[in-house]
Amino acid sequence: MNKIDIIKMQLSAVFMALTLFATTSCDSFEYDLPEANSKEDTTPPSASFSASVTEDYLTYTFGNTSSSATDYMWDYGDGNTSTGIDGENTFPGEGTFTVTLTAADKLGVTSTYSMEIEVVEPEIPAAITPEIINGDMDSGSPRDGWGWTTFTDGTTYPFGSTSDGSTLLIDGTDSGAKTGGAKFTKGTSGGIYRSSSSRYGGQAIVVSANRDYVLEYEYAIKNDDGLNTGAKIVVEILDGHFEDGKEAVDNAPRIITNEGTKLEGKGNFTKVTQNFTANATGNIMILFWGETQQDAYLDNVKVYPVE
Amino acid sequence: MKHIKLMLLLFVGGLVASCSSDYLELTPDSGITVDAYFNDAGEVETGIIGIYDAIQGQNSTDPDDNHAIMYEYYITEMRSDNTRTKSQEGEAAQFEFYNVEATNGIVKDYYASFYNVIYRANIVLANLDVVTDETTKMAFEAEAKFLRAYAYFNLVRLFGDLPLIDRVISPLETEIQFTRVATAQIYELIVSDLTTAVAGLDNTYKTRASKAAAQTLLAKVYLTKEDKDYTQAQLLLEDVMTSGYSLLPNFNDVFYTEENAEIIFAIGYNTTSDDSQNFSAEWMNGVGRTSGVNYVTADAVAALDAFGGDRTQYSYRIDPSQTTQNQVTKYLPNGENGGADGKTFTLDATLAGNDWIVLRYADVLLLHTEAIMAGATETSNVNAVNSFNQVRNRAGLADDSDGIVTKDELLIERRVELAFENHRFFDLVRLGRAEAVFSAFSAANGLGYSSSDLLLPIPQREINLSDGIMKQNPGY
Repeated sequence: MNKIDIIKMQLSAVFMALTLFATTSCDSFEYDLPEANSKEDTTPPSASFSASVTEDYLTYTFGNTSSSATDYMWDYGDGNTSTGIDGENTFPGEGTFTVTLTAADKLGVTSTYSMEIEVVEPEIPAAITPEIINGDMDSGSPRDGWGWTTFTDGTTYPFGSTSDGSTLLIDGTDSGAKTGGAKFTKGTSGGIYRSSSSRYGGQAIVVSANRDYVLEYEYAIKNDDGLNTGAKIVVEILDGHFEDGKEAVDNAPRIITNEGTKLEGKGNFTKVTQNFTANATGNIMILFWGETQQDAYLDNVKVYPVE
Repeated sequence: MKHIKLMLLLFVGGLVASCSSDYLELTPDSGITVDAYFNDAGEVETGIIGIYDAIQGQNSTDPDDNHAIMYEYYITEMRSDNTRTKSQEGEAAQFEFYNVEATNGIVKDYYASFYNVIYRANIVLANLDVVTDETTKMAFEAEAKFLRAYAYFNLVRLFGDLPLIDRVISPLETEIQFTRVATAQIYELIVSDLTTAVAGLDNTYKTRASKAAAQTLLAKVYLTKEDKDYTQAQLLLEDVMTSGYSLLPNFNDVFYTEENAEIIFAIGYNTTSDDSQNFSAEWMNGVGRTSGVNYVTADAVAALDAFGGDRTQYSYRIDPSQTTQNQVTKYLPNGENGGADGKTFTLDATLAGNDWIVLRYADVLLLHTEAIMAGATETSNVNAVNSFNQVRNRAGLADDSDGIVTKDELLIERRVELAFENHRFFDLVRLGRAEAVFSAFSAANGLGYSSSDLLLPIPQREINLSDGIMKQNPGY
């Protein structure tokens, strides 16, 4: 075989190989076209959503957090359905509803996710009615409820007990006779008569934060011979709880200060009410004292929610 | 053969090196490194100033620079019903159309910027031991933690779950870098950092952290996070309300008198190229790099006209060069109005010195009302109504007519009082009204809002770098 023949042979071999290759690839085009579902769906849809209630407790919005999906079907469990990406539904009333999201892709693969929605009308919680210890001042010991743990430069006694209180009981009914009460004299007065024997009553109470309350009390002030001008009973609501009486009297921030200044004489009680708004914590304190030359009386101190 | 000799030489060299490491690990005297830099309190303080520098961002047009807070309006105001681009096209327009892509460069910019803030804060926190005076050390710790919390609070509201980086990490710690932890855990760090900040700061500064700034931010955190704490928020705000801040009589002065009585925390800028900002110019017509962004939507114009009172005239104007469009006027470059065409400035508008207000007293008052409302739909509490009315009265408006402030009234008041100050988006989300408001706004204007748009995408660059660790937010 000469050289040329060898080249020819090699060429024809290459040609044959090429032809063979071309044929093979033709076959593959012809017979291996992808059909629906011939390829695995490697990114199947995964349905999920979050729910949040709106201003109207019956209406919920649903945020779609599905992945790899293109079409959505919402079933709200109350007969309503929708097909948008995000859902929104107003339920017919209180009850438990199963909301189902079906997410699908264009290959028809679906995924479903359900969530139970409990529709309940929100209630505004009732405001706390604080329990006031010895509010009727009938206890034998005035320290009950109103005394201080400490009182720097002063006395921990809150007032002098008396049997010359109001005829009303703490619940407002008339007992027909005098009940126990608190008494202040010039010697136990605070304010301009402040001394180490001044008496101040204080009681820490807890009310509902930021709600409206009523402070109520009854007082009577003697005015014999018209010589007690300017006398008063002072009742205050303090912003916070205070252990030490001096701290409460001198430094505590006030929510309200109410002064009873009517001089109607012993046994002639005047009822006072004043509204106030509780602070952020609901921790408040009632503080009272007298500023009087002749005897002054206080009874039935209450704090209750405005209705 | 040649090669073998060389390798032998290197090997011997290696041996020498390991014998005398002190000799080879010299501190470079011609440059500054983190390891060698922090030696005393003064140097730590420059580290703290460096954190503010990161929040300021770089005033440049280079997309590879961090623009930090200068770009915040893109991803907050322009993603709400308040503003949009003027041209309504390009990358910046993805926000207003609610079709943000994971490759969006502005999103990447903000993400990188605020992780840089966190990084710089972590460096300061890691070098506090050189501060010998305990009080100074506490104050520095408080300041760095305030700034770290501020950065995380912005990021967590925008992106949701995030990598939690609470110390300086090395490049090899990829697991920490890219593992997203639940928002509740991020909020734990924020609350703890801000609690430290409240305890360690005082009210000396307005363009640096202060106690009142930490209290206000912490109150906002308590009102935002999932398990809300209204009582704590109210107490913090009431403390700020007795700390000497007040509303200015004239609304316009709030923006053009720097460090005024109403400012609680602002990011300071001046007109030097290093410390100036460019957003003031960008909001004008073709003055900055863009043809005009943060332009006011018709929706916001209607709200301001109806409810703004005295504030309306100081909040937006008709663009003098293009009278069908409306511009923000709260941050006019260096206080100049731009003359007859609204774009001719004496000073270089792209080097504006207007401070960016982060927290101010009107915000505190309205948050106070919100805290007392405590998730209800309305409140008639006198303290809540009083705070609300203070803001209205300054704007020349009468007290709330029926003495009951509803959540919708509160949102309107916040919208017109704090318009274009990057509050609107967060306010709607925090008060649970984002879904309803954005759906309606989107439907009315043919935009593509869906609930997954409430979170931005994690930048695609981070996803790619994470090598499969980091997962994208739904809907992207």
